[in-house]
Amino acid sequence: MEIHEKLDILSGAARYDASCASSGCGREGSAIRVGNTSQGGICHSWSDDGRCISLLKLLLSNDCRYDCAYCVNRSSNPVPRASFTAREVVDLTMDFYRRNYIEGLFLSSAVMQGPDQTMEEMVRVVEMLRIEEKFGGYIHLKVIPGSSPELVRRAGLAADRISVNIELPSSESLHRLAPQKRKESILEPMKLIGTEIGTSLVERTLSRKAPKFAPAGQSTQMIIGASPETDLQILRLSQGLYRRMNLKRVYYSAFVPVNEDNRLPVLASPPLLREHRLYQADWLLRFYGFSAEEILSDAAPDLDESFDPKTAWALRHPEFFPVEVNRADYATLLRVPGIGVASAKRIIAARRFSLITPEGMKKIGVVMKRAKYFITCSGRPFEKPDREPSRLRQRLLLGDGSEPVQPRQLVLFA
Amino acid sequence: MKRYLYDGTPEGLVSAIAGILDAEKDPQLATLVERQDTLFEEGLFLRTDPAAADSLFSRLRQCAPDAVHTLWYFMMSEAEELETSLLHYVALALEHGDRINGHLTHPDVKAIVSVARKAGRELHRMKGLLRFEQLRDGTYLARMEPDHNVIQPLAKHFSRRLRAQQWFIYDVRRHSAAHWDGSALQFGTLEQFSRPELSDEEREVQVMWKAFFRTIAIPERRNPRLQKSNMPAKYWKYLTEKQGE
Ligand code: SF4
Repeated sequence: MEIHEKLDILSGAARYDASCASSGCGREGSAIRVGNTSQGGICHSWSDDGRCISLLKLLLSNDCRYDCAYCVNRSSNPVPRASFTAREVVDLTMDFYRRNYIEGLFLSSAVMQGPDQTMEEMVRVVEMLRIEEKFGGYIHLKVIPGSSPELVRRAGLAADRISVNIELPSSESLHRLAPQKRKESILEPMKLIGTEIGTSLVERTLSRKAPKFAPAGQSTQMIIGASPETDLQILRLSQGLYRRMNLKRVYYSAFVPVNEDNRLPVLASPPLLREHRLYQADWLLRFYGFSAEEILSDAAPDLDESFDPKTAWALRHPEFFPVEVNRADYATLLRVPGIGVASAKRIIAARRFSLITPEGMKKIGVVMKRAKYFITCSGRPFEKPDREPSRLRQRLLLGDGSEPVQPRQLVLFA
Repeated sequence: MKRYLYDGTPEGLVSAIAGILDAEKDPQLATLVERQDTLFEEGLFLRTDPAAADSLFSRLRQCAPDAVHTLWYFMMSEAEELETSLLHYVALALEHGDRINGHLTHPDVKAIVSVARKAGRELHRMKGLLRFEQLRDGTYLARMEPDHNVIQPLAKHFSRRLRAQQWFIYDVRRHSAAHWDGSALQFGTLEQFSRPELSDEEREVQVMWKAFFRTIAIPERRNPRLQKSNMPAKYWKYLTEKQGE
């Protein structure tokens, strides 16, 4: 088979993988190395669906023995099959990197003959890149569930980030939709990776020469909307992964129906708004000091469609507001709808010099559309002090206080 | 309110600021503009003095390293008519140190920091959007037309990243070029430029990249507007994946 055909099949099959982050680790280019990685992450292009392209995203093979209900590549689907050789992936990566198309490689695969045989082949690609080609760019490697610890270790030593997909938000759903994958075959490598990352961090404080293990950390991904879990269940799971397994990121991927299968729900379109809300809630978990239980409750276990999760929280907690911008600490500022990490930091930096006036808030670049309902400046409110919840809801919904609609949702939901 | 003039060059600007800081008790009351060479132009002309510029830079580096960064980025923007704001900004930076970049309620600080931020954003963008093409002799060439004059830091970035190959970066609008020969970086200007022929390998790789670019998009999520807002059309001219669409 021609390499063009393979590329068509195997990048097409990889596109549903949401992870595009190439950030989280700075690596200097040394004299002999080709390439480095960059702390902030660099987008090299944006594809026709508006998503950032930073990595060459490929499957090593789509020739799968497993039969997961939600997957195009499941063994029972009559799709064209292809597999790259390790050399082909290495050459493509180098050719693209030299032209600055990409930050590096993201490699995943279907299960070929078995987990270990597949993983061995994937690790070979990465080791060839690092050793033969002296490639210093970014590599994100997926770990096949059920891979042996030895291969997981080799993967972590060669790649910047490794990840095991958790696939679905509960073990019942996993059992129902991906019967050949067991919960343990996913959780065990995750735990191992977590421990190895921890050990390597400790060793590197003792000796700069100690090997780095997955320096950009571990992430995972789950499919949203293919199974019946609530948003609260999903956020609790993510919270547990962040707190107990030390994961860097959890990616949510709206279920795109590609198969007819009576185990799957029938959806008119992928639940993109839900995915978007989950990402917003995930930010609240990671950077804003919220817990899953603050964002949702058993009584209201799903995220609000009309409001972002922070605004929804604020509307449920009128007693917390107004927040006085000239006095509130960082954590409190972060709770104000419309004030993000950057704005909160700017407010704190600016008030060192003088009290911030309403004018000043605009000058330092805080978007007031939503924030104005929730703050005071030196005791002065921005809006008439009408914070009666139902009226405030109305104003936020109708007025200019609602969040900017995501363009991609405009297309799908308008 | 004292009015000063300088020759319009970046070095002239920095050295004029150094001079004013030396001469004025309260530099916030002074203004600085580019000399227009009109008859009876009011103001005191300050000649470019590289030594004064250097010593101002090293003073700033001591007490406000972030402000030096801001100054670099500001210079990349080739912004006009902000000399007085820059003068006031530098004076404040010497007084307050790096905290000054947080003083965004001050109009001059705000003006300088926003211009610098914009330049920084484009530099970051170009690190991703620059495309190298392999020529017949095996060297690589990247062309660009950025709004800001980013070639210096951009070339530095690539001298760390693509150090195992020889390349040129050419700023089509400013006729400036950077060359990496595998061990050292050089800058210069090109008066005449004609694009050399591409290698055969280059054509093949471009076909593959375009194929990848096409297939990686999820058809159910097509969204040209989001694509354009992330990647403005002004950058498409030199993007391999946007050619022949
Ligand atoms: S193992 Fe992976 S590739 Fe194979 S069917 Fe399941 S999800 Fe698809």
